[in-house]
Amino acid sequence: MNGLKRALRALFDRLENLLERVFGPRLNPLPQLGTLGWFLFWIVAATGIYVYVFFDTGVTQAWESLDRLTREQWYLGGLMRSLHRYASDLLVVVVLVHALREFSLDRMRGNRWFPWVTGVPLLWFMFASGITGYWLVWDRLAQFVAVETTKWLDGIGIFSEPIARNFLDNDRVSGRFFTLMVYVHIAVPLLMLLAMWIHISRHAHARVNPPRPLAIATLVALVALSFAWPALSQPPADLDYVPFEFGFDWFYLAFYPLIPQIGGTTLWLVLVGGSVLLTMMPWLPPQRRPPVAQVDLGNCNGCARCFADCPFGAITMVRRTDGLPFDQEARVDAGLCMSCGICVGACPTATPFRRAEELVAGIELPERSMAGLREEVLAATATLTGPARVVVFRCHHDAGAQALADGQTAVLALPCAAMVPPPFFDLVLSRKHADGVLVSGCAAHDCYERLGDQWVEARLAAERDPKLRARVPRTRIGTHWGNAARHRSLRRALQDFRRHLQGLPPERTTATVAEPLWRPAPRGPRVPLRAAGQAASLAVVMAMVGYFATAPAYSYLPEGHGVLQLSVRHAGQPLKPCRRHTREELANLPFNQRTATTCERGRWPVRVEVDMDGKPLYRGTHAPAGLWNDGPSAAHASFRIPAGRHVIDARLRDDGRTGEFKFVARRTLELAPGENFVIEFSSFEGGFVFGRPAAAAAAEAQP
Amino acid sequence: MTLLQWRDEFRVGIEEVDFEHRELIELINATHAQAGAGASLESLDRALGDIHSAISAHFALEEKVMHRRQYDALAEHKADHERLLDDIREIMDDVALHGVFDEAVFGQRLADWFGVHFRTHDARFHHAIAR
Repeated sequence: MNGLKRALRALFDRLENLLERVFGPRLNPLPQLGTLGWFLFWIVAATGIYVYVFFDTGVTQAWESLDRLTREQWYLGGLMRSLHRYASDLLVVVVLVHALREFSLDRMRGNRWFPWVTGVPLLWFMFASGITGYWLVWDRLAQFVAVETTKWLDGIGIFSEPIARNFLDNDRVSGRFFTLMVYVHIAVPLLMLLAMWIHISRHAHARVNPPRPLAIATLVALVALSFAWPALSQPPADLDYVPFEFGFDWFYLAFYPLIPQIGGTTLWLVLVGGSVLLTMMPWLPPQRRPPVAQVDLGNCNGCARCFADCPFGAITMVRRTDGLPFDQEARVDAGLCMSCGICVGACPTATPFRRAEELVAGIELPERSMAGLREEVLAATATLTGPARVVVFRCHHDAGAQALADGQTAVLALPCAAMVPPPFFDLVLSRKHADGVLVSGCAAHDCYERLGDQWVEARLAAERDPKLRARVPRTRIGTHWGNAARHRSLRRALQDFRRHLQGLPPERTTATVAEPLWRPAPRGPRVPLRAAGQAASLAVVMAMVGYFATAPAYSYLPEGHGVLQLSVRHAGQPLKPCRRHTREELANLPFNQRTATTCERGRWPVRVEVDMDGKPLYRGTHAPAGLWNDGPSAAHASFRIPAGRHVIDARLRDDGRTGEFKFVARRTLELAPGENFVIEFSSFEGGFVFGRPAAAAAAEAQP
Repeated sequence: MTLLQWRDEFRVGIEEVDFEHRELIELINATHAQAGAGASLESLDRALGDIHSAISAHFALEEKVMHRRQYDALAEHKADHERLLDDIREIMDDVALHGVFDEAVFGQRLADWFGVHFRTHDARFHHAIAR
């Protein structure tokens, strides 16, 4: 597992760096996958509402209304429909890559289990939304989705009779079904929205919108794809025939080809088992959790800066408990704290200048105290030599700054770069412990602790409390944000920073906050090339979405084959025959319950056998439905068989007391390629009915 | 004689803020007395570090209260806080780096700042919350 994670992490790190060169750190799509998911959801919702206005719920009207909308109103209705499809498909890509990336970065371990665990049902909602959507179109693909989904659902075994029987042939599909499906298609995304809200509910300062330029670029790319490759319906569904091959959406339906192969029950086991395994990932294997932040009331006046900066909502401000005349105190929720130390960096008492008493901040990490950090800074800088001595504050997820320590570089590690309180920068520079301070943290806008890089930048720029004092020279402070694959870049940045420090005048007394921090030279190609790279990246993604939304075509039924479906619904005989009440029994019964006969509940199971060309095709014994085993027995099965002439023998026994089959039928059929031939047992018709029900065929024969 | 005297008109009417004001005045007076008694630069540096930390924490609390009460002059008030913190830091650097501590300058700067700040900014805040 760890090997897989490392490999994935290395892959994602490289991809992140590549995309950063093209898009820049702020617009890099990889750290924005979550917000892009939200954005795509809103596109799907808005376009879905538009399409719904024109959608007609009926067996033939569903397909016709959508086809009309697509062709007659191609410039808006067609665009909306295409956006609806492609944004949904892109949503699958975004969500799956997002989940895989969070897994590879281990951002679901410890107290971060919540977004991961709540993300698992989101996958189910997303796929359920897509599947119900494809069903509504009622074209060849929808026909496949309907038939296979009902078989899949029958695999659960909770329905009293197989729901696949509702899609045996054209006559059994009801227009009301589409009304029901529309409501399901609306209800599931609404549930998904609720689940999305729960998914991010534990994040303080949760981001749900991607940066505007990225959102606009994504929308423009989707519109371009929609015009270039409009989403169209396939030929209308015809349940009397089975399509051999049709366009297939591999994003939503990739697991559907497994249904005919492994069966609905096995697929349920695989998917539910897989979901349970996914849900347990945060605890596999269990890991040691570092102790969480602790509040020291003697140094906490309830200023709430830790509360404002905690990215995980782990700090709440509660009523004071120690009797001092303060209104509030900070309280840490051990179930939410990630031990990142960002709260410590925000505490105004975490200043290394405090020396009369022991340095204990209002909030501290037990394993990384401020007193310890101050001692480390003083000890590490005491031995530095050279004209440009540098202190590097690094986080545990940076580009590997620990390898940079040498005679002129002191490296101090913390869980997050934002754990360093700004007065430590002041101490190092104003007391001349070093000539410059470099912060080395995770990739920009992709902080492992969510907001560390943003808080560091804002504090150093004096835009957010606790601000770095205005008179500390910003030109002596540098930042390098980069993941583990950026080690060479960090080394180069340190060399450049040192050269920059050597070029500065030795004494600066007029430092102002307006001075920019030192930053590494920007990476990546020039603006026109970057724009071309951005367009090319989006084009590649859109081409992939457009292609796999319909291709490669799925071969459902082998050439030269047809489908034989068996459908049975029949109540077995009572286990015991009914008998007349005796006179005494009648007298003992309440007046309103007196009936001539009494029947014990319980029926015989129904045995069904079908042979084709003298060989067994189907054997099954079906228990009666109902808690008292007194309902009808039902069965459904389908077989792909070669087209041509076949002799079918069907038998049914509904009374276990005799070994004889009460209903026996033989029919020779000519199965055309692609034909869907139904053998149904109908008590009403008095036995097996081969082909379409007589009533339906007669109705069709009417002029 | 003490450097700063707590007076009732300094009250802003918020218990926790007034409590810290009194504590800060005591802390500053103690340091001033320490300086007057010929304390070493080392011990003065330590005491100034504590004053700086206590004032930082107090300002953080006061700014929170102002923010929650949507005090319209918060930015101006905050700028005055930052000015004082910068002044104290410079006195601290003078002590630590140059071995210089002028008791009179220290007393004058703090007395001026507190006197003016209490009379103007804090009084304005007091009136604002009283409204």
